[in-house]
Amino acid sequence: MTQKKKDNLTKVMDYLKYEDPFSKGVAFCPGCGLELLLRFIPQVMGNDIVITGTPSCSAPVLLGQNNQSWHKLSYFGTLMTGAAANATGLARYYRKAGIKNTVVCFNGDGTAADIGFGNLSGAAERNEPFIYICYDNEGYMNTGIQKSGTTPFGATTTTTPFGSASKGKNLRRMNLALKMAMHKIPYAATATLSDLDDLAKKLLKAKEAKKRGFAFLHVFAPCTTGWGFAPENTIEICRRAVKTNYFPLWEAENGKIRMTKTVKKPKPVSTYTELIKKFAHLSEEDLQILQDDVDYEYCMLGGLSLLEGECRLPASLED
Amino acid sequence: MSSNKYFKHEGPWSDSNDPLMCSDTGDWRTKRPVVDKDKCIFCGFCAIYCPIQVMEMVEESCFSPDLDFCKGCGICAKECPKNAISMMPEGDFKK
Repeated sequence: MTQKKKDNLTKVMDYLKYEDPFSKGVAFCPGCGLELLLRFIPQVMGNDIVITGTPSCSAPVLLGQNNQSWHKLSYFGTLMTGAAANATGLARYYRKAGIKNTVVCFNGDGTAADIGFGNLSGAAERNEPFIYICYDNEGYMNTGIQKSGTTPFGATTTTTPFGSASKGKNLRRMNLALKMAMHKIPYAATATLSDLDDLAKKLLKAKEAKKRGFAFLHVFAPCTTGWGFAPENTIEICRRAVKTNYFPLWEAENGKIRMTKTVKKPKPVSTYTELIKKFAHLSEEDLQILQDDVDYEYCMLGGLSLLEGECRLPASLED
Repeated sequence: MSSNKYFKHEGPWSDSNDPLMCSDTGDWRTKRPVVDKDKCIFCGFCAIYCPIQVMEMVEESCFSPDLDFCKGCGICAKECPKNAISMMPEGDFKK
């Protein structure tokens, strides 16, 4: 009986090889996607990582309070304008000192897509050997839910409220992961929390790719407080984001894009937005704009992944 | 007492010999997950999706939450494929 039950155990458990370095009672909201991601990373990649990060929801926990800490990892807190530049310095120091570890630059989408994008792009262009993980909660959630570059069309935030003068964000979101893949770095990927085996594989691939240079991971992590949904729906929202192609899962090695999960019959984006309060006011036309944007991005990705096979690549890039 | 055994280089402001900070997050809970041991098929989805990672294996046949730290978000009950976890109001358990 026990053995039969044990066969049911999900394969994700095999990836969790290391101890969870975080203390149990950590000050994140109930149902926070970021907390699951933060605990998952060191359990998969090992505890010999140094995290650098910026002021964000992750910082109070990662940085610690007063002279005590919430976890056993090493953390280096930096400014939002220089996140990737600081990680560059750390990675170079460890390489020169001969210390073998992994530098993980762990930032929100505000740093990665808006404020710190300049030096993120620079570090990618110089091919610095560290891993940059962006957890995307589509806004500046820690400072009071302001909009960022990755906030989708129509979403209400405190700077793009719904009212007589404004109907939510009036521009479509940028695709940060695709921008980073266009840097032709050794590894760029998107992942989300509903597919943890996929996320674990990508984390391990990023750790492997770090030996060749820059690795970028874009992880979709919903925010219960900022988006307005019940805390138990965090994983369901990630799953629906994948099933509606709102957040397609793909990876790019040296700029070669490959879909890691294809949805045969994608559902309309309304099945995703219906769970979330920040989309509650969307009219039919607004939903259509959002749907067109999702279709456009997916078509672009699909086209790029097909093109790679049809065009002839330089011999040095082929495996 | 925890010690920093993973990485030897610590910052000058931190003392790795101090015990880790730990909030009493079990206090936040309004609903408590209750696991039905007969329905549990030991798939482990509750354990991997729990943001706080408090679901513990009990004798390798069932999972059970650590109620000292469970924040009561309800992800385990939502993700359970057999609906073996139900969220009961915390008031029912208080004396």
